[in-house]
Amino acid sequence: MYSRILAGGRTGPHSLPLARIKKIMKKSGDNVNMISGEAPIVFSKACELLIEELTRRSWMVAMQRKRRTLHKEDVVSAVIATDIFDFLVNLVSEDSTTPIDLTPVEREKLEF
Amino acid sequence: MEDINMAAGASNAHDDDDDDHDNYIREQERLLPIANVGRIMKQILPPNTKISKEAKETMQDCVSEFISFVTCEASEKCRKERRKTVNGDDVCWALETLGFDEYAGPMKRYLHRYREHDQADHRANQEKG
Repeated sequence: MYSRILAGGRTGPHSLPLARIKKIMKKSGDNVNMISGEAPIVFSKACELLIEELTRRSWMVAMQRKRRTLHKEDVVSAVIATDIFDFLVNLVSEDSTTPIDLTPVEREKLEF
Repeated sequence: MEDINMAAGASNAHDDDDDDHDNYIREQERLLPIANVGRIMKQILPPNTKISKEAKETMQDCVSEFISFVTCEASEKCRKERRKTVNGDDVCWALETLGFDEYAGPMKRYLHRYREHDQADHRANQEKG
């Protein structure tokens, strides 16, 4: 089947569950009617790319802060610093008690 | 005597537990599994680095928001063109439109390969019959 052929990733044909992706798509809006079989497959790859890019950028922030553990605040900073992630700014800021506009020195003090 | 005006804190403990459970299920359904998300993150990072649980949860939220964001754009296109079904091309188009043109290229190739093999399987199955 195509799934074996398209497998290139280390975690099997699709590293994200297609049924769940489809559920999330359906809940996106009132005018989402029918979804073709291939749409969740496209998303499984696109989401992988998103996670990879956001993780890479968050990691660069963590390194600047001299840590080897990725924290939520690193992800938040990466989102804010990247134009195409503008749509995520409110989401990551809304419930965040993580102060974003700290000076580097103040940020360092938070880490333990 | 019954207190009709129940204070906000007063509650029926049994109902609250049911609500919590239902909310938990709903919450899980709107997110991709943390194990899958965490695995993809880990593959990008150098060995011996750790990821906090909160960071993974934030990533889960971001991915779901991404799916909604792109899907809305794709389904709006379908609505304007009076089509009922959002297909792979619509998703690719929406990715490009929303600034994810770096993803759109690999996506189109991925979709192309998927369709080719899907057709090949279909033909193979027909020949068997």
